[in-house]
Amino acid sequence: MKEEERDNYYVQGLAVPETPEPGAEPKPWSKTAIVGQARPRVDAYERVSGTAIYPSDYTFANMLYGAILRCPHPHARVKKIDISGARQIDGVHGVLADTTTGGDIRWPYVMQWPYEAEKISKLFDSHCRFEGDAVAAVAAATPCQAMDGVRAIKVDYEVLPFVADERQALKPDAAKVHDDSNQVNKQTYSRGNVEQGFGEADVVLEKTFRTACELHTPLELHGCVANWDGDRLTIWESTQGVYAIQSKVAELLGLPLSKVRVIGHYLGGAFGSKLQPGKYTVIAALLARQTGRPVKLFLAREETFLVVGNRPPANMTIKAGIKKDGTLTALEFTGIATGGAYPAGGMTLLDWLVRDLYTCPHVKTETTDAYINGGPARPFRAPGHPQCSWALEQIIDDLAVAIGMDPVELRFKNIPTVSQGREGTPPYTTTGLEECITKGAEAFGWQQARQRTAAGRKEKGHLKRGVGMGSCVWFAGGGGPPSTMIVKLFSDGSVNLNMGASDIGTGTKTIMAMVVAEELGIKPEMIQIEHGDTGTTQYATSSGGSKTVPTEAPTVRSATIEVKRQLLSMAAVDLAADPADLRYNGQYIEVAGAGSRKIKITDITKLKKRGVVVGVGYRGPNPENKVINPFGAQFCEVEVNIKTGEVRIVRFLGAHESGRVMNRLTFDNQVFGGITMGIGLGMTEFRVLDTNRTGKMVNRNWHDYKLPTALDVPADMISIAIEMPDSEANNTGA
Amino acid sequence: MMPNFSYIRPESLQEAITHLGSADARLHAGGTDLLPCLRDQVFDAKKVVSINGINDLRSIQETEDGSLRIGALTTITEVAENPLIRERYAALAQAAAEVASPQLRHQGTIGGNLCQKPRCWYYRGEFHCLRKGGKICYAKGGENQFHCIFGGKGCYIVHPSDTAPPLAAFAAKINIVGPKGKRTVEAAVFHVEPSKDVTRETVLEPAEIVTEILLPRPLQGLRSSYRKVRARQAWDFALAGVALVLQFQGNKVTKGRVVLCGAAPVPWRSYEVEKVVIGSALDDATISRAAAAAVKNAKPLEKNDYKIPLFQGMLEEELQKIKNG
Repeated sequence: MKEEERDNYYVQGLAVPETPEPGAEPKPWSKTAIVGQARPRVDAYERVSGTAIYPSDYTFANMLYGAILRCPHPHARVKKIDISGARQIDGVHGVLADTTTGGDIRWPYVMQWPYEAEKISKLFDSHCRFEGDAVAAVAAATPCQAMDGVRAIKVDYEVLPFVADERQALKPDAAKVHDDSNQVNKQTYSRGNVEQGFGEADVVLEKTFRTACELHTPLELHGCVANWDGDRLTIWESTQGVYAIQSKVAELLGLPLSKVRVIGHYLGGAFGSKLQPGKYTVIAALLARQTGRPVKLFLAREETFLVVGNRPPANMTIKAGIKKDGTLTALEFTGIATGGAYPAGGMTLLDWLVRDLYTCPHVKTETTDAYINGGPARPFRAPGHPQCSWALEQIIDDLAVAIGMDPVELRFKNIPTVSQGREGTPPYTTTGLEECITKGAEAFGWQQARQRTAAGRKEKGHLKRGVGMGSCVWFAGGGGPPSTMIVKLFSDGSVNLNMGASDIGTGTKTIMAMVVAEELGIKPEMIQIEHGDTGTTQYATSSGGSKTVPTEAPTVRSATIEVKRQLLSMAAVDLAADPADLRYNGQYIEVAGAGSRKIKITDITKLKKRGVVVGVGYRGPNPENKVINPFGAQFCEVEVNIKTGEVRIVRFLGAHESGRVMNRLTFDNQVFGGITMGIGLGMTEFRVLDTNRTGKMVNRNWHDYKLPTALDVPADMISIAIEMPDSEANNTGA
Repeated sequence: MMPNFSYIRPESLQEAITHLGSADARLHAGGTDLLPCLRDQVFDAKKVVSINGINDLRSIQETEDGSLRIGALTTITEVAENPLIRERYAALAQAAAEVASPQLRHQGTIGGNLCQKPRCWYYRGEFHCLRKGGKICYAKGGENQFHCIFGGKGCYIVHPSDTAPPLAAFAAKINIVGPKGKRTVEAAVFHVEPSKDVTRETVLEPAEIVTEILLPRPLQGLRSSYRKVRARQAWDFALAGVALVLQFQGNKVTKGRVVLCGAAPVPWRSYEVEKVVIGSALDDATISRAAAAAVKNAKPLEKNDYKIPLFQGMLEEELQKIKNG
């Protein structure tokens, strides 16, 4: 390759950040050249053109297709199962059930946080506690033959009484999901004295709210392809974290971690529902072992509505006290929710916003998680938060009306600087709430919109407009260890980034390439990323919880700096200088103060000889006794047809403080996506179980389960980034 | 998963009728409803008879007497966009434009839209309900938020078609051919109420095919409109809807029909509204009385009484709009 072409690897004229001394941690960049830009994704072409290979795209010669026989009842016992029919279907190569060799596997449902609960079930549990639980599975040459095989299995069920509503589940005469009580857990929290707080209030209001069960329904179905090579298992899975799949599969199948390779390069949506393997993962692996052939097992859309998680329904009563001047005096919250038939975090963080969002001296909460005969929950974009927000923000609005105060002003008066909900009330590294509210209100034109819509409501006509707002904090979002990254610089100056984390569609790969580019002065497109593969990339936690960038970006930066340090040492030999006197300057390394004494990176003798420089980075710890949380405030205008009750969302604005905005395009994408899903939860989406008669889910398809369409979200959607320098969170400020 | 079936694409109606006469044969036109029904195992098929090769069924033509002939294979998009329909039969064009989503409108046909199967989630789901030959209606006492408030007896579906209410309101006729030859049926009586036969949605006998829809020449002073209220703005059926076809002399309504959608197991002619508005000037008081009359005899189920104020409010709004031209 010609030298000029190689010069093209670099962004010309870019001021590269200083390389810290060995062992010294870099400070967050004060100025950036690439990070923070609005850059298209590094894999945009692949995604748009269809050349990106998603796990559900994989096919192999000789591959079989798996299908799962699922219990059609919400609660039943398998009295007898006869799999012989399946074996007689053309094309069926493998049948797996609790009674077949290798099918007798345990399946633990374990909650470790925020409360401990555990129920050990089985891969094929004869006691089916929710509709869709796995009863048996088949592998066949075609998907149709696999389904035919499944249908040929005869099962004799003893149908048991069920409970499909968490409000009924806690009553004494409710059917029992397990042998003991339907109460999974009850948690209480208290600070101050709510009675005193209500006593000090000028106005006390109490209201009850409910949010329906919401389903993830990502575009790419849940599933994997599994293949054995001797005693080594490889799984291509649609997942948020290959290492989470590896550890659970290895544990359940009794394999060393090294023998389980999980690959997940692309992912067509998950929203929290693919943080862990499903039964389908283990079933595919077992069918592949039984048949000696690769097995592809992706669920049908209808199955995903039943068995791969949900945002639990929540029933919330909230009592709030306030003084006339807008000071909140007390909040009392009771919530009942359900994670389904097994411990699955039904009430996780359900009370968090009440505890932490607004300054309030007296707070008491009680949350109860109940079992029902329904599919187990899985984390879903900020577990607990949207539910709590629905209750808290409405009562705050009611309080504002009651004391005759603008709801923005009321919130403004109760902004905390410390995390009140946590032990020891540690401070946040940044509290962006105030700025989110101020700047958001200003950009939205809150005051004018309030006056305009109020005046409009007095006029004739049946289309009335109104504006509303709400604010939020997310419990996590700061990231943290562990993470290990490897950055490899090749002899031609191009770079390979080796990252275990998944890019779940949020643009992680793009952002990491931008971090490397920022540090090395190399164009992001010259950086190739290898990721999401337990065989070739390093351990990473699953991508989710808004923690991927703050976890991985600092690690990438550390690894890249390590590359620079090594290059400096190598160049010191060529330049006969002390490494400490050298400056890495993108294309060249030069002697500080003597710009003429320099060497091109690609001319460094040791690099040419060795062919590669490898920098390893580790994620350092977060600051002690500090809380790193993102904040936000959202505003919207709606039009209500007061004759029919139809609601049209006219416009929406989100102002978010999420740390440093690494890529403005992917940031805005996340905000718009979040708003859209919020509109779904608030307006169109709800799971419907046939509570009275059969307990079965009736709207298990994309027509009856109504995701918002492009016509249901406003074209006028604005994302405002509130960036506050954070020198404590991590070395990128992200 | 699809059942195994043979697929036939005859080129003549006669041939199609013969094939449809065999056991478990199903007619295929746009396929937007047939394929999901087969996949969801709502019913079985041994033979799928596509009529897509019969090109005579694919046209919109004005006849000599000024009426309009729409071939059954005309797509919903073509109906929505046809200039003659938009000009003379606005409610029909509006209704067609409100159907499902652009893809489904391009693929789905007007004949199929009339003959589609109910969307009741029990009927479509794993429930052996009355309409499928079972013993009970699961909607009664169940999850019936999207079910009917009129005409339910035994079964409580709402008819999902958007185009059927305006066709009934325009007094359209439907041409049918079958083993016994041709016949013509009023669109208003094409659909069958569950009280008459719970297992069928239309008057079609086995092996009969809808071939054409005939719209009479519009009367002088005729105004029409279609309104659809739904839970989301695309790819959704009506929670409530109304086709208004009213003849005006000045501000007085002299003739017309009002047909509700999302209300009953069949497109539901609201004689109550017609009685109030016909012969009257459409002033605020009349509109108010008409809207109240619309829901007076409604029988909501446990979870759909929201439809009462919804229909009432929607009718007020639509009558006001049509009054103002």
